Amino acid sequence: MNVIEIKGLTRDYGNDRGVFDVSFSVKEGEVFGFLGPNGAGKTTTIRHLMGFLKPQKGSCTIAGRDCWKESARIQEQLGYIPGEMDFFSDMTGQEFLSFLEKYRGIKANGRKNELFERFELDAKGKLKKMSKGMKQKVGIVAAFMHDPQVLILDEPTSGLDPLMQNRFINLILEEKKRDKTILMSSHMFEEVERTCHRVCIIKNGRLAAVDPVDALKSAQVRKYIITLDSPDSAAAFAREELGETVVSGSSVTVGIKGGIKDLIAVMARYPVTDIKTPGQSLEEVFLQYYGGDK
Amino acid sequence: MFSPILFKQGMKESWRLLFIIGAVLAMYFIIIIYMFDPKLSHVFDEYAKAMPQMMSMFGMKSTSGSLTEFLASYLYGFIIPVLPMVFAILCANRLIARHVDRGSMSYLLAAPVKRTSVAVTQAMVLVTGIVLLVALSTVLGIVTSEFLFKGDLDKEGFIIINIGALSMLLFIAGICFLCSCIFSDAKKAAAFGAGIPSIMYIIQMLANAGEKFEDLKYATFFTLFDTDGIIKEDTFAYVQIVILLAGALLLFAAAVIVFRKKDLHI
Repeated sequence: MNVIEIKGLTRDYGNDRGVFDVSFSVKEGEVFGFLGPNGAGKTTTIRHLMGFLKPQKGSCTIAGRDCWKESARIQEQLGYIPGEMDFFSDMTGQEFLSFLEKYRGIKANGRKNELFERFELDAKGKLKKMSKGMKQKVGIVAAFMHDPQVLILDEPTSGLDPLMQNRFINLILEEKKRDKTILMSSHMFEEVERTCHRVCIIKNGRLAAVDPVDALKSAQVRKYIITLDSPDSAAAFAREELGETVVSGSSVTVGIKGGIKDLIAVMARYPVTDIKTPGQSLEEVFLQYYGGDK
Repeated sequence: MFSPILFKQGMKESWRLLFIIGAVLAMYFIIIIYMFDPKLSHVFDEYAKAMPQMMSMFGMKSTSGSLTEFLASYLYGFIIPVLPMVFAILCANRLIARHVDRGSMSYLLAAPVKRTSVAVTQAMVLVTGIVLLVALSTVLGIVTSEFLFKGDLDKEGFIIINIGALSMLLFIAGICFLCSCIFSDAKKAAAFGAGIPSIMYIIQMLANAGEKFEDLKYATFFTLFDTDGIIKEDTFAYVQIVILLAGALLLFAAAVIVFRKKDLHI
């Protein structure tokens, strides 16, 4: 069953900005990655799902309800992390969260404390004095504390340190086991790789593709930067048939799809001094996957 | 239609402003009523005679001598529209436009609370503030007058003047709240929310100055609050109060509808 359903969603801001004829759906119990560069239309799409914007064309539904007309009903079972954390800055984190608890009409439960411990959150300070990471943690607690069935998370880990990012990924994995439906926008490939069933990419307001994350992984071209003892050996190394190579000085950048057995065999024959695997951004992965400027 | 928790939060946030405006209002009321003492001579009437145009611009004119007229002229012509108006401008802006501008509105709407309820609740915070300020004025006016000049005040007339003032202030608050709901940019909302009532008041001042500007009184809603008419028990003055109240209701209703249908980039 599709829980989140977007059909032909269009909002034209002029100058080719906005979203155009976007359609996709997220099934019950599915974790769906929503990816794309800044300004591609991720947040605009999410605002429609939240009922903040009315579609110019097309429709959005969550659990069969129209996101614009029935947003208050939808919100009963929805958790949301906004792309930008802006709170009632005069409150402390604690005050803000207990305000939301009462405002939502949920009874105090162990869930909030459990989240506080999980993210080592101390929310006694004023929100306006909090660092970005702290605010993000408050936002995470606010989105999860009422244990919603559907989660819409816009860049949920921005501002978090790697340790907390990891804890967040674990939280998502637990929720995944509990059959929650999750739509998550992200910039980090690792986050998406570890959590999502399927991903879609949006570019210039248009949906480029929807694919299972495994397809993405197997198509991924990994890059290795191999440094040799001299530019001459680097040039010789580059002539080996490994894949795409770029020489710069005494180092060679090789792009390899699939296993690296051959690469290791070749490397053994050369005076290799160093090997590096640069971290890949999602955009790079996607550019490889979809080829150039698609 | 209404969220008690949000209302409580809104009151908590406007409490300080309400207190300051209330304190200044109280100070003016006590001082001005005190000045009515015939033994101290009518300082204001002296002024009014010396520079009638200047004083009448602020709705103050030489009075025939009753305490009720004195209060209507010296308190309800300037202090009463202006101080609560400052409250309405600041409070209305904070209740909607600032949340939308900053994005914190997303938290109010990412909850099972309808947009209509959010707007109605915030409007109620503003209305409550105005009602409290007028109630304070009414009580202060009566108590201080009774204490200093027992029996001089026409209480019935004074209460109707306050009902009129309440209608006018709710009308002003309605303008401020509508602006707060229309504009997503808090600065723009503040500019229009403060600008429209202020311009209306300046037009009223010019009209009061008389002569060639007198016809300007038809261009401002302040004319509908006619204290002279109320004291004379003129039916038309009462009708004008009802018109202001109906206008206020329409403005608030329009604000709620605008907010419900609006695109929010939050």
